Amino acid sequence: MKKQFIGVVAAGLSVVLAAAGCGKGSASGDDSDGKTIRFVAAIYDDNTKGYWDALIKDFQAKNPGYKVALEMVDWAQMDRKVQTYVQTKQTPDVLNYNAFSDFARDGLIYKASEVVSPQVLGDFTPTFVAQAQYQGQQYGLPFISSARLLFYNKDLFAKAGLGGPPATWDDVKKDAQKIKAAGATGYGLPLGPEEAQAEFYSWAMNNGGGWVDASGKWAVDQPANVAALTYLRDLTKSGVTQPNPETTDRAKVFNQFAQGRIGMAIGGPFTRAGFIDPVNKNLNFGVAPLPSRDGKEHNTLGVMDVLAAFKKNGGKNREAVRRFLDFFYTAQNTSKFLKLEGFLPVTKSAGDALSSDPYMKQFVDALPTSKFAPTSNPAWSAVAGAVKQDLGSAVSGGDPKQVLTGIQRTAEKAG
Amino acid sequence: MDGVTKAGRDASRPARLPGLRRALAPLPWLAPALLLVGAVVLWPVVEMVRTSLLDISSSGTTLGGAGAANYTDLFDEPDLWPVLGRTLLWVAGVVVAATVLSLALGQLLHARFPGRRAVRWAVIVPWAASVLMTALIWRWMLDNDSGVINRVLLDLGVLDEPVNWLAHPAQALLWMMGVAVFVTLPFTSFVILAGLQSIPGDVYEAARVDGASGWTTYLRITLPLLRPSLLIGTIVNVINVFNNFPIIWSMTQGGPGHATDTTTTFTYKIAFFDKHVGESAAMAVVNFLLILMMVLLYLRAVRRPGARA
Repeated sequence: MKKQFIGVVAAGLSVVLAAAGCGKGSASGDDSDGKTIRFVAAIYDDNTKGYWDALIKDFQAKNPGYKVALEMVDWAQMDRKVQTYVQTKQTPDVLNYNAFSDFARDGLIYKASEVVSPQVLGDFTPTFVAQAQYQGQQYGLPFISSARLLFYNKDLFAKAGLGGPPATWDDVKKDAQKIKAAGATGYGLPLGPEEAQAEFYSWAMNNGGGWVDASGKWAVDQPANVAALTYLRDLTKSGVTQPNPETTDRAKVFNQFAQGRIGMAIGGPFTRAGFIDPVNKNLNFGVAPLPSRDGKEHNTLGVMDVLAAFKKNGGKNREAVRRFLDFFYTAQNTSKFLKLEGFLPVTKSAGDALSSDPYMKQFVDALPTSKFAPTSNPAWSAVAGAVKQDLGSAVSGGDPKQVLTGIQRTAEKAG
Repeated sequence: MDGVTKAGRDASRPARLPGLRRALAPLPWLAPALLLVGAVVLWPVVEMVRTSLLDISSSGTTLGGAGAANYTDLFDEPDLWPVLGRTLLWVAGVVVAATVLSLALGQLLHARFPGRRAVRWAVIVPWAASVLMTALIWRWMLDNDSGVINRVLLDLGVLDEPVNWLAHPAQALLWMMGVAVFVTLPFTSFVILAGLQSIPGDVYEAARVDGASGWTTYLRITLPLLRPSLLIGTIVNVINVFNNFPIIWSMTQGGPGHATDTTTTFTYKIAFFDKHVGESAAMAVVNFLLILMMVLLYLRAVRRPGARA
């Protein structure tokens, strides 16, 4: 009986240990020699995994003894996974993400100069270096970028008797009304929880608004922003947008745009390959600067994703990380990724290749005047989250000023 | 075996040790289960409470203790009370509707009719399908420009123009409750069917002999004898519906704004949109206490009158 008892307890214990073990097992790689690194990459589309598989194979062949374990994560899962990695101390060695500054604040990641060669460091376009800094030091490694412009359907514009794309907000409204009269939706406004912050900022910045004031303090409820949101609400109320912008995501807007049912919408370089071509390759559309309130200055929304390298095992992983990153940042490897995914370059050396495509060239040309979300502020991710949840309610019955004040409160609370 | 004999001889310690032995004897068989319960049930609860008392930065780094700060942050949220109210409405609405419908459905399945087997299978189907899939299908059926529900209502002339059902909080909530009832029905009606089948036939015979009407028989005999089944069904449903995430998340994400959030989606949003893990854990603790309270209240309410019946 004693034997049985011990056996049963042992069996029970081993179950428990196994259950506890799988939580930690895949973890930190403390036992590794520092030559195997874990790379968490974001899934941009169906081609992404194939690209990394090939790149890693190539890297391992050229760097004997070094290994990269690839983990692909869907963007929809990304925030949740990243937060869990950090919280359970299972951070990857290299992470492909859209934020880095709270990692820098909490001392989790290397400075850029510690993990790439000076040559790579000098190759980044200055605009992006500025976006990749936290307290004056570069932590993020610019990875891809994109810019937003106004897409318009030329056939619908002709049918509505319109010449070119609108330059001012008044034009947008008038043109949208004419398009509506011609039987389509005037302007496609995605203010649903997917990317409300990008759509809103595209309008706010062209009224002199933004997320922070000149001194870098949060200014979400500044008058220029309230005016921009009031304008969007006015567009919605006058019925020239699709119904219920507060629950609409980009994919839906561009699906309908591709079907020729929407006159105008804001999109990026990836919009053609990602949204329009799969639905209608022959759509007759044009791309124009984002309309501004007075029509004089046109700002472009810039977006940048980064790679960040996490400190682990007292820096034992640094050499492997540096080798891998230097390998990725060769002109050949980066430009291959950009072409495959339809993004804009962040390095000078990968730049020119894309300008040969007239569609892409418009976005490359818009980059120098582009404005970015304050990603170097560690509170930005919390603010973006609040915007995604709440901004849409301002056009569906809420009060723009009140909604923005609520987001301002979240911003101040987050730091 | 030595201890038993000794204790047996020693008159001053009458059989205490064997008693303890007997009490501990089942332990070897229970231990694995107890350990598992500890690891799978208790440990997460402890961890949840611990997290709710920690100061965790937006990146996920633990910065130390937070005292009650996460709880004060939580109770300062202007959306908290509406969310709690909506959660109770959601649970009560779905469970009551599902139970009433299941009583009827259970009765139907209990009756003898040709093709009963096929009907029983049909009732199981929503249970077999993934909840997420069902919710997504409904979401697309309710879509305002390509949804089949708008199409049908337009063609029938009920509507003049398509309605974006899920963009209006009240309508969205009703539709989601409908979906929740739909996926809750199979389990509940089969629990009730099992209950119906356990009622002996002679009880009904006696009722018939006494001249009781069909309705009286149902109220006086069937319902009271169904009490154990209803009890189990309700408790399981309350917990399930309370914690239901996929239906709400896939149909409205709790939006627009927070207008269709329940505590479950609200917890998720605090953690992964507001990046406030500590406060989210506090919400989870509140959620847990609410469930515990509801189940205890329900058990008391149901036990009190003639618990032995």
